[in-house]
Amino acid sequence: MVEETTLNTAIEPAMPPPPYLEPALEQSLRDVGIPPRPLILDRIGAEMRKDEPDFRLLGDLISADVSLAAGLLKTANSAYFGFRSRARTVTQALLMLGLDTASRAVAGLALRKVFLAVPSMERFWDASARVARVSGWLVGRLGVRDGVRPDDAYTFGLFRDCGIPILMKKFPQYANILKEADADPDRVFTEVELAHCPTNHAVVGSLMAQNWWLPGEIGQAIRCHHDAVILAAGPLGISPASARMAALAQLAEFLVQRINGRSATHEWEKLGGTCRQMLQLDGDEVEALLPDAESVVLETIG
Amino acid sequence: MDAIGFDPLTGFLDRGGCLRAAVRLTEFCRRQEKSFAVLWADLDRFKQVNESFGHLGGDAVIAMVARRLGDALAGRAEAARMGGDEFVFLIPSCDRREAEVIADELLRTIAAPVEVGNIRMRPSGSIGVAILDNGEESLAFIERADRAMLEAKRLGGGRYVVSGDEQVPGRVGVLLAREELVIETQIHAALESGGLTLHYQPIIDFDGGIESAEALMRCRVDGQSLPPGKIIPVAEKTGLIARLGEWSMLNAAQHARRLRDYGFATKVAVNVSRAQLTAPRFIEALYAALYCGDIEPELLELELTESLFLDVSETVQANLKAAKQAGVSLAIDDFGTGYSCLANLKDIPASKLKLDRAFVSVLPDDRRALAVVRAIAQLGRELGMTVVAEGVETEQQFDALAGLNVDAVQGFLHARPMDGEALIEWLRRRH
Repeated sequence: MVEETTLNTAIEPAMPPPPYLEPALEQSLRDVGIPPRPLILDRIGAEMRKDEPDFRLLGDLISADVSLAAGLLKTANSAYFGFRSRARTVTQALLMLGLDTASRAVAGLALRKVFLAVPSMERFWDASARVARVSGWLVGRLGVRDGVRPDDAYTFGLFRDCGIPILMKKFPQYANILKEADADPDRVFTEVELAHCPTNHAVVGSLMAQNWWLPGEIGQAIRCHHDAVILAAGPLGISPASARMAALAQLAEFLVQRINGRSATHEWEKLGGTCRQMLQLDGDEVEALLPDAESVVLETIG
Repeated sequence: MDAIGFDPLTGFLDRGGCLRAAVRLTEFCRRQEKSFAVLWADLDRFKQVNESFGHLGGDAVIAMVARRLGDALAGRAEAARMGGDEFVFLIPSCDRREAEVIADELLRTIAAPVEVGNIRMRPSGSIGVAILDNGEESLAFIERADRAMLEAKRLGGGRYVVSGDEQVPGRVGVLLAREELVIETQIHAALESGGLTLHYQPIIDFDGGIESAEALMRCRVDGQSLPPGKIIPVAEKTGLIARLGEWSMLNAAQHARRLRDYGFATKVAVNVSRAQLTAPRFIEALYAALYCGDIEPELLELELTESLFLDVSETVQANLKAAKQAGVSLAIDDFGTGYSCLANLKDIPASKLKLDRAFVSVLPDDRRALAVVRAIAQLGRELGMTVVAEGVETEQQFDALAGLNVDAVQGFLHARPMDGEALIEWLRRRH
């Protein structure tokens, strides 16, 4: 029954906008919809592809969006990257982070807007941010392996569930589907979604990540992050970097849930064994991570 | 009941059957004074498949790869499975040059992505090639191919080695592979740094209205554009085609949304590849693109390239049917050439036929082409399909098509492919 209604709403036409919109008006219109890739990511990409990227030009472009500029400065100056010097301008922040990292930081900041544009997604965003933060911290703790650096793990953590707000916006009932998937002790999470709608948040998320020019490994990891078989498949499944990012985030989610004292999902039961094996941790070692992880989680809330 | 001399899993000859056939063909080729090639192929790192997925999983992959190899060689060779993941192909009347071409083709065939149940992988293979020497015994001959294969493996796999070349550096078939690797890296770079764009070419009906716009991918890396002719073969071989396809689908959907926001409810058509449509989960990606693009499915069209029709499998049919159910329309591209045939019209729920440019380029003088176009247009009409002529470049062609009941045209005469912003401008000017 749910299926029928979901399908109907999928094709519900939006209110037709007037023709010949001015760019500013168009932008505000799009802000309430599902935002396509922020244009700034294209500009950063274009500079990245040059031999001599023009940081000043990019700095000016990013500075035009006050919240983006502030967010990027905050990112560059956060304890997270551990730079001694402080960036005072966006151009300096770009120089400190490098365009690669800056591009992903910008994507992360823009993603926040996607989440917050959808009612009741704020808490969900906070949870993603916590998982991202703890994922990045875990890399510091467990070491850089398979080429996964802290900010890769962080970006993956942020984007892992970015398909959810999109589906939430499409289907009013999607919140219930999520609840059902969370509560299901056996079925793969995405299979529960597929029982009700024609796609799932992992596929939607991976498409969006590609669209936002995120690295292929991140897209792949998003697509498979609920799939224990693929994650455990070693060289035959997804790339080691993708599998590691997925495992780190799953562990991070488990730690966050333990620290918050609520575990509304069964994902660790379904995936924990595989993830622990990939990260080469036994149960005691996971427990031993808890105290330090707690301080990381508390920082994120603050 | 399994036939003696045949491998039950693949239907190929088994080891015994292979050796008997080798003796027979050796004699035959000697008598006919023809050359004789044997190719020994082995999948790289296959042990891990069995270790990870058990032997049933491994067998499924073997069966799939064997079927593809058999198809690739159809009729040209005796195929045998020597056990495990080892195959031998006996190719009579085949000289070294041809054998190398075939080896290269088999490597590509092996490297096509495999999706069986939960297994997703991109296998690679190593091939040893031997050409029958004067007076050589068939067994020694096959052994040489085996040794060459081992050498190909020693060099890292994913290549072929011709027996006798083992010690000569630079004479193994890796040169092509290296260029492909460069292109593969460039595609990755484009996918991760904004090097891909879609350009759009309008399709115009005879009243001057816009029927739709076809999205065409452009790829720029390091200031250079990579032509589709270079990208597509490598993308197909490496499985990147699926990512490129999904990227195009989503971006086409987003642009359709943008056009609609500007007041132009123009359908955007996007090419989908065989690799996408043979994936069991294609439809999830299609819906994901529609949702991310936030667009009505009626504004997206999938153009099915002609190579798809080589083998319209059940998966492809199911995917197309589901796409149709989603509300997306289907168009058959390049109709009338290559693998496309009338049976496709019966089996594929398409609502548009795009007549290959080969028919259009010879209009209006070629009377036979005129007759063919007229007949196809008539057929399309009776099937309730829109018929579009591709590659319309002159007024004369346009006028001829107008008299043939074709519904719409696409080509340089009316518009070249243009970027998304230029398309908006173009639409504005026409309104």
